[in-house]
Amino acid sequence: MYDLSTLASNTWCVGCGDFGIFQAIKDAIKRLEGLGIGRDRLIMTAGIGCHGKIFDYLALSGFYSLHGRAVSTAQGIKIANPDLSVICFEGDGSAFGEGIEHMIFAAKRNIDVTVFLHHNSVYGLTTGQASPLSDKGFRGRSTPRGSQDPPLDPVTLMLDSGASFIARGYTAKLPQLTDVMVKAILHKGFSFVDILQPCVTFNNTYAKYAPIVEDLDRPASTREEAWLIAQRKDKVPLGVIYGSKEAPWERQVPKGGQMSKDERHKRIRSLLGA
Amino acid sequence: MQVIVNMASDLFTFLVGGKAGEGVKTAAGSAAELFSEMGRHVFQMDDYQSLIRGGHNYSLVSSDIEPIWSHHMRADLIVCLDQKSYDVHKDHVSDRGLVVLNEGAVEGEGAFVPLIKEARKYPKPELRLGLGAFTVLCAAMGMPEDDLKRILEREYPKDKEVNLAYGLSIYHATSESVGQRFDPRPGTFKGSRILTGNEAIALGAASAGLDVYYAYPMTPSSSILHYLAAHDRDLGVEVVHAESEIAVINMAIGSTFAGARAMIGTSGGGFALMDEAISLAGMVESPILSILSSRPGPSTGVPTYTAQADLDFALGRGFGEFPQIVASPGTVEEAFYLASEMLDLVWRFQTPGILLTEKHLSESAMNVKLDVERASYPQPLMHTSGEYRRYTLTDNGISPLLFPPSPHMIKWNSYEHDEAGITTEDAGTIKKMADKRLTKEKALIRHLIGMRTVNTYGDGPVIMTYGSTTMSVMEALRISGIEAKVLQPVYLRPFPVWEMKAFTKERPVVVEQSCSGMFARLLREKAGITASHVIRRYDGRPFDPKELSERLKEVI
Repeated sequence: MYDLSTLASNTWCVGCGDFGIFQAIKDAIKRLEGLGIGRDRLIMTAGIGCHGKIFDYLALSGFYSLHGRAVSTAQGIKIANPDLSVICFEGDGSAFGEGIEHMIFAAKRNIDVTVFLHHNSVYGLTTGQASPLSDKGFRGRSTPRGSQDPPLDPVTLMLDSGASFIARGYTAKLPQLTDVMVKAILHKGFSFVDILQPCVTFNNTYAKYAPIVEDLDRPASTREEAWLIAQRKDKVPLGVIYGSKEAPWERQVPKGGQMSKDERHKRIRSLLGA
Repeated sequence: MQVIVNMASDLFTFLVGGKAGEGVKTAAGSAAELFSEMGRHVFQMDDYQSLIRGGHNYSLVSSDIEPIWSHHMRADLIVCLDQKSYDVHKDHVSDRGLVVLNEGAVEGEGAFVPLIKEARKYPKPELRLGLGAFTVLCAAMGMPEDDLKRILEREYPKDKEVNLAYGLSIYHATSESVGQRFDPRPGTFKGSRILTGNEAIALGAASAGLDVYYAYPMTPSSSILHYLAAHDRDLGVEVVHAESEIAVINMAIGSTFAGARAMIGTSGGGFALMDEAISLAGMVESPILSILSSRPGPSTGVPTYTAQADLDFALGRGFGEFPQIVASPGTVEEAFYLASEMLDLVWRFQTPGILLTEKHLSESAMNVKLDVERASYPQPLMHTSGEYRRYTLTDNGISPLLFPPSPHMIKWNSYEHDEAGITTEDAGTIKKMADKRLTKEKALIRHLIGMRTVNTYGDGPVIMTYGSTTMSVMEALRISGIEAKVLQPVYLRPFPVWEMKAFTKERPVVVEQSCSGMFARLLREKAGITASHVIRRYDGRPFDPKELSERLKEVI
C-alpha cells in the first residue's frame, strides 16, 4: 500500500488553506481505515482551480474532472459501483459557478457522495476574480469597482436543495475539520462540508474569521433549526450543522457485472420472443 | 366484391391519419403486428408533430412478402379520422385503393364509417378512434369476427369490454361497405419481431453488456430512454434521467472510470452541450458511446422530423486532437449489431464513439430477426500484474485498464498527464502523450481495415448513400427495377478510404437528406469521389421510394 502523498511537487502558496484540507483528509483517511473503510474503496474527484491540485498531491484513486463537473463525475462513479465511497473536492467556481446545477441536483437526489468545498470567496488559479461566494463590494480583477451582487450562501442552498448532512470546517482548526470529514464520509446520503479556506494571495481571511468562528454544541435536530444556524450573521458556526437519516438515492437495478453475458443474452432473446 | 390491389407486387400500404391523442400510432402498430403475423415484411413510419393534442399526425404501414425497406406514401387503404387527414392524403390513394372517412366528422369522397358516432356511446370517444381505424383494416381484409375479437383483446388490453364492443360495432358497420376488399397474401417471414431503430440500438447495446444509460429527454432519441427505463430490471441496465445533457455525459464518463459500460443518447442540441465532455473523454481515454439521433436544425429546428444535416457536426466533435469513431446504421437490423460493435470498439480503443442516426431510423419500425449471439461483447485490455500506471505507453497506444477498488492508484486526468495520471506541463511528456493518442488512432484504423466498414448491395451504376437514406434508396430500386450498385459507408470516422478509394473514378449518384450535400462533400474530401448528381431532400420528411425512383431514373 502506497503512502498518502504522491511525489508531485506542491505549488500552493505558503500559508494557503488548501494545505490544511490536504492534511485533514490524510488524517481522515487513516481514521476511516481504522473503521474498516480502506483507501482502495475511497475514490476522489476534483474540479479545476487551486483546490483541484489536491488530486495530484493525494495518493488516492480518482478522476480529475472538468471545471464544474466534479460532482457529476462523482455521482457517475457512485452509480456504477455503490460499494465505493466517493469524495469530491470543489472550489467556489466549480461548485457554485459553472457547476451549481449539479450541486443542487446531487443534494436533491441525496446521493451518497461527499463534497468538500474549498471556500475561499475568490478565484485563485485564474488570478483573483470575484467568485459566487465573494462578499458584495469585493474588488477583484473582474470587478475593479467592487462586485455588485451579494454572495450565495452555500450552506443554506445545500440545505434547501435536500442535502442530508451539512457541516462547516475551518482550515485553521484541523482536528475539528478532520472529525467533520470522517463523519461526512461515513454519512449515507449527500454530504456537504463548507470549508473556510483563506487564500493568502487574493483573499486572506484569517483575520476576518478568527474572531467570529464558533464551535456548535450539537447539530440541529431539524432542517428549520439548521437553517437558523446557517442564517447567523454575528458568528460563523463550525462543526456538524445537520445530519438526518433520509433515504439516499438508490439504483433500480442490482450493480452491473452481476448479470453474466449468458443471462443477459437469455433475457434479450426472451424479450425478442426468440 | 373482391379486388386484388397492386397486381404487380404484393405491396400493401395502410395509412391512418388524425389528431394527436386519437390513437393513430397505436392503430398503425397493431396493423404492423397483423402483417408481421401473416409472415409479411413490414415497415412502419410515424409522421407526428411536437404537440400532445390536436395537429395532424399520420402513420403508414407498408408490407410485402419480399423484404421491404421503406414506407410508401401511396396507400391502398386510407382511414381519415379528421378532415385534415382527408385534405392532405386524398390524392395519395393507390389506383385501386380506398379512402375511408369518419362519418359526421369528415367531408369528402369515399366510404363513410361511423367511427366517432359509435365511439360517442362510450366514455373518451376520441381516444378510441385508432381502434376503430384498425378494425376498418381488419374488416377490409375480410378477417373473420372471431379472429378480430382475439386480436382486439390482445392489442387493446385496457378497458377490454368497451373496446371490444366498439370494435365489433365498427366491424359490422364496415363489413357492409368495404368488407373483404383487400386480400394481401401471407408471406413466409415468420418468427420476426417489430422493433424501432431506437429499440434495436437499446437492445444491441444491452447485448454488448451495457450497464448504465444516461439521458435527458430529447426527440428523436427519447424512446431509447423510455425503452431502457421500461425494461431496466429485465435487461440489467441502470437508467438515469439526469438534470441536463452536461450532467448526463459527465456522469456517464464517471461510470466508465468505475468499469461500467455506459452510453448516452441525445439529439443535436443536447449533443452540442456535451462537447466539452467529449473532449474530456478523449483526454482521460474514456470509452463512452453516444447515440446522436438527428432532426432538422439548426437550433431547436423541427423536433419530430428527420434530417441528415448533423454529419459535419458528428464528425467534428470536441476540441484538441484525439481518436474518435463515428458510424451510422442503414437499417433497424444493422442498428442492433452496430450498437454492440461500437460499444466493443470504444472499449477496445478507450476513446469516445458516436452512433449517428436520424429520426427516420430511430422511430420507424421494421420486423426483424436478430441473433443475439452475433452481437459484439467488449473485452477490454485489462491490467494483469505488477505496478499499475493508467497511461502506460505501449506500442499501439492502448494502456491496460484497472477499476477500483484496487490496491493500485488509478488516476484519470483531464489535464495533460504523465503515465501515472499526474498533471504535467513538461514538454517531453506533452509530446509523448499526444503521440500516444495518435498511435491509438492508427491502431484503430488498422483494426477497422480488418472489419466490414462499407456495405455494398447490387451491381450496376454506383449510388452512394448512408444512414437511414440507405433504406429509401434500396426500396426505390426494388420497386422500380433499376439496376444499381449501392455503396453505404457504415463507418464515417475514421473514413474507410481503403475501401472507398477503389471508386475514385466513379461518378456516383449521391442521395442524402442535407441541403448543402454534406455527404457528397465528405466523399470528395476523403476519397476524391465526385458525384455526378446529388439527390437531396431536406423538408424533414424521408424520401418516398416512388418519388426517389423517379428522380433516380432521370440521372442513371
